[in-house]
Amino acid sequence: MSALPSEVFPESGDERPWRKFICRACGFIYDEETGDPDGGLAPGTRYEDIPDDWACPLCGVSKQDFDPYAPPAAGATRSQARSHATALTPRLAPRGRKGVVIVGGGLAGWSVARALRARDPDMPITLIAADSADIYPKPALSLAFGHKKTALDLIASTGPDAAGELAVRLVPHAHAVGIDAQRQRVRTTRGSFEYDALVLAMGARPVAAATLPDDLCWRINALDTWTRLHAALAHGAKRIAVIGAGLVGCELADDLVHAGHAVTVLDPASRPLAAWASPAESQRLLDAWQTLGVRFAGSTTVEAVARSGGSASPLFVGTANLDASHIVIRCAGGATHEADIVIAAIGLATDPRLARSAGLEFDSGIAVDETTLATSVPSIYATGDCVSIHGKPCRFIEPIARQADAIACAIVNQTGEATAHRAPLVRLKTRSSPMTLVGYR
Amino acid sequence: MPDSAPAVSSYRASAATSTPTSARDDADRAALIDRVRSIAAGPLARDAERIDRQGHYPRDILESLGRAGALGAHLDCNGRDFVGAIRAMTEAGRVCGSTAFMMWCHDVCGLYMEQSGNPALIGARLVAHACGATMGGTGMSNPMKTFAGIETMLLRATRVAGGYRVSGTLPWVSHIAKNHYLGAVATVVEGDDVEGEVEGAASRDLMFLLECNAPGVELKHCPTFSAMEGTSTWSVRLTDCLIDHDHVIADPAQPFIGRIRASFILLQTGMGLGVAQGSIDSMWQVEDQLGHVNQFLDDRPDALQAELDDLTARIETLASTPYQSGNAYLIDVLDARVHASELALRAAQSALLHHGARGYLMSAAPQRRVRESHFVAIVTPAVKHLRKEMTRLLTPALPVAA
Repeated sequence: MSALPSEVFPESGDERPWRKFICRACGFIYDEETGDPDGGLAPGTRYEDIPDDWACPLCGVSKQDFDPYAPPAAGATRSQARSHATALTPRLAPRGRKGVVIVGGGLAGWSVARALRARDPDMPITLIAADSADIYPKPALSLAFGHKKTALDLIASTGPDAAGELAVRLVPHAHAVGIDAQRQRVRTTRGSFEYDALVLAMGARPVAAATLPDDLCWRINALDTWTRLHAALAHGAKRIAVIGAGLVGCELADDLVHAGHAVTVLDPASRPLAAWASPAESQRLLDAWQTLGVRFAGSTTVEAVARSGGSASPLFVGTANLDASHIVIRCAGGATHEADIVIAAIGLATDPRLARSAGLEFDSGIAVDETTLATSVPSIYATGDCVSIHGKPCRFIEPIARQADAIACAIVNQTGEATAHRAPLVRLKTRSSPMTLVGYR
Repeated sequence: MPDSAPAVSSYRASAATSTPTSARDDADRAALIDRVRSIAAGPLARDAERIDRQGHYPRDILESLGRAGALGAHLDCNGRDFVGAIRAMTEAGRVCGSTAFMMWCHDVCGLYMEQSGNPALIGARLVAHACGATMGGTGMSNPMKTFAGIETMLLRATRVAGGYRVSGTLPWVSHIAKNHYLGAVATVVEGDDVEGEVEGAASRDLMFLLECNAPGVELKHCPTFSAMEGTSTWSVRLTDCLIDHDHVIADPAQPFIGRIRASFILLQTGMGLGVAQGSIDSMWQVEDQLGHVNQFLDDRPDALQAELDDLTARIETLASTPYQSGNAYLIDVLDARVHASELALRAAQSALLHHGARGYLMSAAPQRRVRESHFVAIVTPAVKHLRKEMTRLLTPALPVAA
C-alpha cells in the first residue's frame, strides 16, 4: 500500500502526518519523515524534537530559522510564472534584425506599434510597459466616477490582446532603467533588449512635492492608481480636497461631485484654470460649481498635509476634530481644511533619468524634432507626454496619432503626411461647464 | 593562523575624520594601481587556482594589498577615492575573482567602521584595518535582503546592561576567521518577547561589529561551493553574544544603511569589472593562434572591451559622489551593478568559447572565470534582487486607508 505524498503517516504511536520545514536562509527543506541522518537526526524526528544545537546542513542556521513548508499545488507555480512572462508572438526578431523597441504601454506607445504594423507587416516590434499595458483612454479617467464606470469598463483592449492583434512582443511590468545608445540596447528590470530603432513613449509622472506626501495624496495619471482611488471611494460620500485647479484638477472635481462627494478645490491662483482660461471663462466655471456645490478656495497655498491626530502632525493639534481617520491641510496664513481624501493635481513632469542615460537632449521633456519626432541621438524617437517641442511639453491626446505615423514613416523609410506641430485644441470635459481651450500657454 | 601584523606606517593612513581630507591625485592613484598590478601578476597569479579550488585563503596577499593601499583608498581618511578602490579591485579581479570579492568584503567593513563615527571603531583600529594589519568582513546579505522585503532578519538582539545580547545564525559569511570581525545587523526584540514571535515585536535594528573570537560566537564549516573556496566562508552562530557600546556601528541601523547603501553596492562593481576584464585578457591571449576561427564567435574581445570601458566610465562618474542621496542616483548605481554582472557573465562565457577545449581544463582560467562570473551575478544583491529593488524604487507609493 502506498500513501499519497501529502498524507504520509508515521508507523506507530504518533498519528500526525509528517511535516516539512523550509530554511528561511537557504531554502533547504527538512522533512520529518527522512530526518537528517548526517546531522544526527534519525528518520522520523519531529521538528519539535530537533535539538537546539542542530544546524541546517546547507547553511548552518538553527531550527528557529525554519518555517513550516507546504509544497505548492502542481501547476500553480508555473501558471504564476506565466503571468509574469512576456507575451509570445510569432514575430521574434530574426538574427541581425532587432526591430523596433517601444518603451511605454500607454496610448502613445500602442499608437506607434499600430502605425508601424500598418506600414510594415514584418517589422519585429517589442513593447516594454511598466504596467500591464492594457489600453484605455486616459482622458476618461477624469469622467469615470460620475458615470459610475469601473476599471474594466475603461479598458478597450488588454495588453496581451493588443499584442496578439498587432503581432507585438509585449514585455509587461518592466521598467526601462538605462539606454546604451552606442550598442543600441535598452536595459530594463526584466532584461536587456537590442533595437534597430527605439521609441520612448513612457509618459510623464505627477510632480512630487514635499508638502504633499505620497502616502496621503492621490495622484491620478494612470488606470492602476485610479482603480485604487475608486476602491477607496467605494463606501459612501467622502470629503475630497483637490489641490490644483488646472485641467485635471477641475475635471476631477467636477466628476467627483457628480459621483456624490463633497469637493473642495484649492489653488494658489485666485480663479480656477488661471493659466488656461480667460477670467470670464473661469467665472463661468465658478458659477457652475456654485450650483453643484464644489467649493473653491482660491489664493490658497498649501503648506502641509498630515493625518489628523497622527504623531507626525504636531502642527494640527488644536484643530476641531482629532479623529485619525481624516486628513488636515494647513495653508499659508493659518487656514485649515479637513478632508477624507486628498488628490494632488499640480502637474506632470518627465523623468529625465532614462533620457540622460542615452545622452538625449532634454528640455522640460525629451527634445524632439517637431516633424520627425527624432531625438538628438540617431535611431531614437520619442512621442506623447514625455517629449518637448521647442522646450514645451505637449501632453495631449490629439497629436499622438500624427506623431505615431511620423515615427513609423521615419523608421520604415517612407514618406507620410508632413506633420508640422501645432498647438492642439483642448476640450475641458467638465459637464457643468465644458469649454474648448488652446493647448499651449 | 598567526596574526602577524605588518608595519602600519608603510601606508600613509591618517586619523579618521568625518570628511575626506583631500582627493587623491592622479599620480597617487596610478602608483596604487601599479602596486596592485605587481601583486596580481606575481603572487596572486601563482595562487589563483589554489584559492579557487583548494580552499587556500590568501592572507599574505591580502596583507600585501593592504600595505599597498588597496584596502583603504575609499575611506574618508584617505581622501574618499572610490575610483581608486574600484580600480584596485578590478586589477585583482582580472586575475582572481575570489580576491576581488574579499577586497570588497574588507572595504565595506572599513566603511562601516569609519562611517559609524564610534570612537572605538575609528582611529588606530581603522588604520590597522585599512592597511590590512587586521581583517574584517561583512554579514550584511541577510539584512540587505530583509530591508528589500526578500528575507526576514536572522539575528535577534535583547538590550542588557552595557549593551545587547545577540543570538542567531548568519549563513555564509566570507573573509572571516577566528581573529577577524564582521559587520552585522540584528533585530532588537524588547525584553520578554525574546522567545515570542519576532515579527511585530521587533521595533528597530542594531548594526554592530562582531568579533569572531568573542564568547558566544562559533564559526561552522559550509558545504563545498562550486568556486571561490579560498574566501574563508563560514556560517556564524551567535549564542547570547554580548555586544557592548564600543562595537555598535549604528543604533538604529536603518538610517545608517540607507546612507551607505549606494556606496556598498557601487564598490561591488569592481569585482564584476575585474572578472570581465580578465576574461577579455584571456581572449586576446589566444587570438594569434585561434583568431581565424574565433572571428565567428559572438562577443569578440574588442566589442566587449568597448562596452566594458563605457561601463567603467559610468561607474567612475557615480563613484565620484558615493554618498549622494536620492532615488535617481541609487537606481543608476543598481543599474550599473546589474550591468557589471551581465557583462561578466557574457565575457566569461565568451572567453571559454574563445579558448575551446583548453579553456575547459579544470586548471584553465576561463572555466574558473565562468564560475566566478556566476558568483558575481548571484552574490547579494543578485541580479534578480537588484531588478526587484529598481522596480520598487520606480513604483510610486500610494495612500493607504487610515
